[in-house]
Amino acid sequence: MKRTKWSLLIALMLVAGLAWVWIWRVPAGATALPALPPAPAVGHPAPGFELPTIAGEDFDLASLRGTPVVLNFWATWCPPCRAELPELQAAGSRYAGQVAVVGVNQAEPAGVVQKFISENGLDFSIPLDEAATVSRLYAVRALPTTFFIDRQGIVRHVQVGPLTEATLAQWLRTIYP
Amino acid sequence: MLTTLQIGPLNLQTYPLALLLGGWVALAVGAWAARQTGLDGDHIYNAGLYGLVAGLIVGRLAHVAAFWTAYRAQPLDIVGLDAAAFLAWPAVVAALGGAGWYVYRHKLPVAAVTDAFAPGLLVGLAILDLGALLAGQMPGAPATLPWAISLWGVARHPVQVYEALAALLAAGATIWVLRMHRRPGTAAWVALLGYGLSRWLLEPFRAESMMAPGGFHAIQLLGLAAALAALWALRQEFAAS
Repeated sequence: MKRTKWSLLIALMLVAGLAWVWIWRVPAGATALPALPPAPAVGHPAPGFELPTIAGEDFDLASLRGTPVVLNFWATWCPPCRAELPELQAAGSRYAGQVAVVGVNQAEPAGVVQKFISENGLDFSIPLDEAATVSRLYAVRALPTTFFIDRQGIVRHVQVGPLTEATLAQWLRTIYP
Repeated sequence: MLTTLQIGPLNLQTYPLALLLGGWVALAVGAWAARQTGLDGDHIYNAGLYGLVAGLIVGRLAHVAAFWTAYRAQPLDIVGLDAAAFLAWPAVVAALGGAGWYVYRHKLPVAAVTDAFAPGLLVGLAILDLGALLAGQMPGAPATLPWAISLWGVARHPVQVYEALAALLAAGATIWVLRMHRRPGTAAWVALLGYGLSRWLLEPFRAESMMAPGGFHAIQLLGLAAALAALWALRQEFAAS
């Protein structure tokens, strides 16, 4: 008798279980989630911003739509940032024209940044966030922080802390190819 | 949201801290549960340590194998302190293997050890869920419920809280069965039943979920399968008694 009751319970669980699974099925062609507002979080569109670059040009994130973007926040006084910049420089050269590497400098005078990039031979795009408004927009609480943004402008990964060549290759896979 | 904790000059990330705390509490609860069943609690700490070491080594080696081109250029990174340079699934499998090796080497009763680990793992998971809530990770699906929480401009299910409560409920049931002194292994099946049910019930409330062919939530299906397997095993135990 007991065994029969248990068998009945298992059968009920199976039926109720499959029904619950079916209810939450995502139909073909439908998206599981509604459109999300821009935010510095995985799955959200990356917030748009415009800043002047160290090269004296205007940088607009929206202009990179269609290209995967590695958006890094850094400062010259930050040792882990300095350690990972050669990796970003190498990636910028290796994926030139395919992946945009962007290094937003946080709240430092242009002269300090210019001296640093000349000494270190950095030639990827470096917007200057002198008032830290974009850092606040991206809720950057620790340096370095790197956002991996896909071709559609969606944030696919947020890395807080330095990247090595290996972890950069790992997270690049979330946006490229 | 509290992604980092500022302690003096230190800026500590909340989620890794929750991972450490959850791991330590899991072992402490496991050691307590082991003593309830007559096992030496130190075996749980030791097996956990074996699992941790095996998981770290294999997780890093798997990362090295997967990104060998990068490591070949910078071989010192193989032993670097980069917390992100691990592959999760190989690490989990190796951790289970490492703990299993300790149990085998010391000829410990497998079912009793599994019973002891079960409630600890569930409490550890609950702590990890709360850490995810603080750090804004593993967010819930959009919701219009009165208890929805706002994250990144969207009202969402507090799915991390749901999962933490479910894990604690399952841990409570597991401890209750453990103290009934049923046949060894029973408490572990109850834990699997509770965890499987929670994943089956709650997975759709996550914002991001691994999908299986046909538009099904893969983890939800696995949760249902685990719950059914656990029920079947419990049927053998309880129907016979």
